[in-house]
Amino acid sequence: MTENRITSLRQLAQDIPPSRDLWQSIEREISGGEVQVKSARRTAWIPLFALAATLAVVGVGLWIGQPPEKGARSIVYTGFVTDPRYLRDRAALLESLRQRLNALPPESQQQVAASIATLQKAKRDLEDALGKDPGNALLQELLVNTYQDEMRVLTAVQQADSPGGGI
Amino acid sequence: MMLIEPQAARVEWEDAVIQRAVRGDKRAFEQIYHAHSGRVHALCLRMTCDAAMAEDCTQETFINAWRALKTFGTRSSLSTWLHRVAVNVVLARRRRMSISMTDPPEAFEEAEQDWTFDTPIEMGEIEAAVGRLPVGARDVLILSGIYGYSHGEVSQMLGIAAGTCKAQLHRARKLLRGYLGVEVH
Repeated sequence: MTENRITSLRQLAQDIPPSRDLWQSIEREISGGEVQVKSARRTAWIPLFALAATLAVVGVGLWIGQPPEKGARSIVYTGFVTDPRYLRDRAALLESLRQRLNALPPESQQQVAASIATLQKAKRDLEDALGKDPGNALLQELLVNTYQDEMRVLTAVQQADSPGGGI
Repeated sequence: MMLIEPQAARVEWEDAVIQRAVRGDKRAFEQIYHAHSGRVHALCLRMTCDAAMAEDCTQETFINAWRALKTFGTRSSLSTWLHRVAVNVVLARRRRMSISMTDPPEAFEEAEQDWTFDTPIEMGEIEAAVGRLPVGARDVLILSGIYGYSHGEVSQMLGIAAGTCKAQLHRARKLLRGYLGVEVH
């Protein structure tokens, strides 16, 4: 038993082979035209999510009378998604949104909630797609754009309710 | 007697095989699979704590790797790149299953180092203790403590801030100490 005892985490097995050979299943998946078909499908819906996200932002922007600011994009860098300040600000805006939603008429509540839901779905789908294709620069760009769009919507909703705001 | 530097030989061998695989040679990709499946599967198994899901994730990792092989640069080793793909696969699967990460604690400075125990412990006991850790702390511990990736690499792989990564490591160390009843250095 003592040979199984170790004193460092690095001594744990680095390789643990699967209980069965997975190669045949992998080969089936990557063979033939299947990969190309799936790839084509994936690229086909990318613009749809980008469009959906953009429409959501424009829709909310128009509704509250405050179109998204073009200059806002330049101050955001691609690593912001993991930035603790960004995460903190986003959490605060979401909390603020939840509180403000209750004060809005039901129709307005639905519009904002639908826009946010569209953006969040776009984010989830892009993240899933990136899980399958982590090196895809287009997907990465779209994901960052969607995060930025979400922040603009949240900020716009918050400002709209302040004195001089659009609602 | 012929002297061979194993690491250099391995890299040359791998470069040639990768080039063949990029050109669509499935036999070359099969070689890559057989050389790396154990390492990828070990990571998936530790992150998911589920044998069936780990095999699915391993399979998906290699399918995704085949599709993205053209984007593989020489900045990292193939082994590290495959681990990145595997981490993305596991995280995407968790999102689909709505397994949420627990809130990270406050950040602590923690040096990157080999984790050692003051007394020898059974490997199975350690694996079980690692499996009991909360998801966020477990992910960071596996990548950093077992596979030796730096905080920067781990935070990039998991899409978290470097401070969160260090905080999760601190948390994992504290919990492991409690689970195993030994000092973790």
